[in-house]
Amino acid sequence: MSKKLFGVLSAILLFAMVLGACTPAPAAAPEAPAAPAEAPAQPAAEAKVFTIGISNSFISSEYRTQMISELQEVNKEYMDQGITTELVIESADTDTAGQIQQLQNLMSKGVDAILVNPGDVTGLNATLEEAVAKGILVISVDQELAANGVYNVGIDQKEWAKTSAQWLAEKMGGKGSIVEIEGFPGHPANVVRMEGVDEVLANYPEMQVLAKDTGKWDEATGQQVMSNFLAAYPTLDGYWTQDGMAIGALQAVLAANPAKFPVGVGEARCQFINLWTEVLATHPDFETIAVANHPGVSPTGLRIAVNLLMGKKLDESKLGGTNGLSFVIPLVTAVTKDNLQDAVTLCQDKPETYLIDNIMTDQEVLDAYFVK
Amino acid sequence: MNRRRWNQLLLRYPFLFALILLSVAILVNAILQPTFFTRESLNNNMRVFLPLMILAVGQAVVILGGGIDISVGGILSIVNTILATQVGLNGSPEKMWIYVGLSLLAGLAAGSLNGFFVSVLRLQPIITTYATSFLFFGIALYILPNPGGGIPQAISGLYRNTTPLGIPLAIYVIVLILLGWYYLRHSRYGRYLYAVGGKAEAAYETGVPVVGIQFSTYVISGLMAAIAGIAMSMLTGSGNADIGSAMTLNSVTAVVIGGTAFSGGVGGIAGPIIGAMTLQMIMNIISFANIDTWWQTFVNALIIVIALALPGLLNLIQGRKK
Repeated sequence: MSKKLFGVLSAILLFAMVLGACTPAPAAAPEAPAAPAEAPAQPAAEAKVFTIGISNSFISSEYRTQMISELQEVNKEYMDQGITTELVIESADTDTAGQIQQLQNLMSKGVDAILVNPGDVTGLNATLEEAVAKGILVISVDQELAANGVYNVGIDQKEWAKTSAQWLAEKMGGKGSIVEIEGFPGHPANVVRMEGVDEVLANYPEMQVLAKDTGKWDEATGQQVMSNFLAAYPTLDGYWTQDGMAIGALQAVLAANPAKFPVGVGEARCQFINLWTEVLATHPDFETIAVANHPGVSPTGLRIAVNLLMGKKLDESKLGGTNGLSFVIPLVTAVTKDNLQDAVTLCQDKPETYLIDNIMTDQEVLDAYFVK
Repeated sequence: MNRRRWNQLLLRYPFLFALILLSVAILVNAILQPTFFTRESLNNNMRVFLPLMILAVGQAVVILGGGIDISVGGILSIVNTILATQVGLNGSPEKMWIYVGLSLLAGLAAGSLNGFFVSVLRLQPIITTYATSFLFFGIALYILPNPGGGIPQAISGLYRNTTPLGIPLAIYVIVLILLGWYYLRHSRYGRYLYAVGGKAEAAYETGVPVVGIQFSTYVISGLMAAIAGIAMSMLTGSGNADIGSAMTLNSVTAVVIGGTAFSGGVGGIAGPIIGAMTLQMIMNIISFANIDTWWQTFVNALIIVIALALPGLLNLIQGRKK
């Protein structure tokens, strides 16, 4: 054929080779799967170095960024002890099919355990069950799944919502009018959170919910919704909201600057903590509660995975949830005026987007969920 | 002379460039992933790739006819939610096949709606199908507000793990579609389709039923989206009203990588099928190349941009040499 066509082909081949050259040490990963064959012969803990895979389908959020960094940090501890290899991370904005592909790739790479933050509450189940059937330890973090043999690690979302709702009700003396700004209606986490709020408010018949709207878990939308509420109900006594929308809501209150600030719920993110201290300068009586749905559940999940891989025995009675395989991680202490100073100090050397967090230590994980 | 030869080849086989791209992708993937050619890996890949490949076929037919269909993801979602809510995890196989039939009808109906708006009412295809996509996603959300539901595990398993003669099921589906296309392409309908896509006014003047042909492309696209939705439901075994949203633009990208021109009348469906495969393979390559987490999205986009720009760049370079 023509020389030109040959030139084109070789150009493409060159492109391919450049791509291939981008590969940092591909030899490291394939070697790991060879080990399991000899593992049973010796005590598992010393014999084998474990490879753990991470599947994350959504990257455009501070929560996920913090989660990935913390996973790498915690894994470093185990790497230094020779227990695990470098994490195999599959992380990109993708849809359900894309995440299925992520999981298949992790299986194909021969990982010993998979930590998945699922983008779909049911669509990955068949694939995850395949992984379990292959003898891979699968843990879903941050979102409870009902797949057979898949462990879940996360907080109790209902309890989390109740904490701030309870504080709000008590702070308001059990009476007054409030509005609610919720996340995506129908999203599993939002549904149980709103159930929790309803349960708390049921105990306070004199508290009246004037309106409820979605802020789509988005700061700007939360601000918009709160502005509308303040215009419609100028004498509002309080508001309940969650996550990043709380920052927007507080900014809306500051912009409207009503004579009496409504009592509201905040988020334990440094940006909010900083805003809080700014408000205190002009309104010394201002009070709020800042709670965090903390990304630390994922690195805690990694610790659980490592201990399970090392053959430590689970205390099954500590587990609960829909499939009886859920680890419920304790909530991070809420920030109120009593411990605000600690939060301010913590935030001094953290980025604005940092969520106040807690990663359980290896010992804490062992004490809480494993047979001694 | 050589350049003309290359251009002639491309004109005759518009998918040639996509094929080269795919070969490179397979080569790189196979080097990085030693297990790539095992039956399990091939099947795992193909079962995930199939829905987008089918979607791209429908999209290609619409684009060949001079239009575009931004609502395919919505139709896919409707089908997914119908199956997940109506059949259920414990449904009987008979029930499943009845609803598969109904899903196909739903796809045809949705496609007809698009076709009516674009060909009969002569509305702008991109805006019209963008608008109907919200309609379709709205219907899907109404059918299944919260992700869940499902189809029987046995049927899902049938799709996921069937490899007759050691060849993934998806390959058979693609071969069937290609055979159907081959027949269609060489029929009178096929000639009309290319005539309408190439220059609708001229086609009209020579007596080609332009309205009917344009209408039919959206119906075919709706049908293909429904088949893709069935495949997707069998892959995930569950329902999610949002499942199709990310796939619409990918189907358009697959068509373009496959060498089917946006202007209509040029290309075919083999290219888009290859394009859809390539597009999804790139993600695999990135995964097996152990590219740093924070760079994965960038590298993925970069490769797609290069793949889209390469034919133009090559022409430019060759033109300059002359």
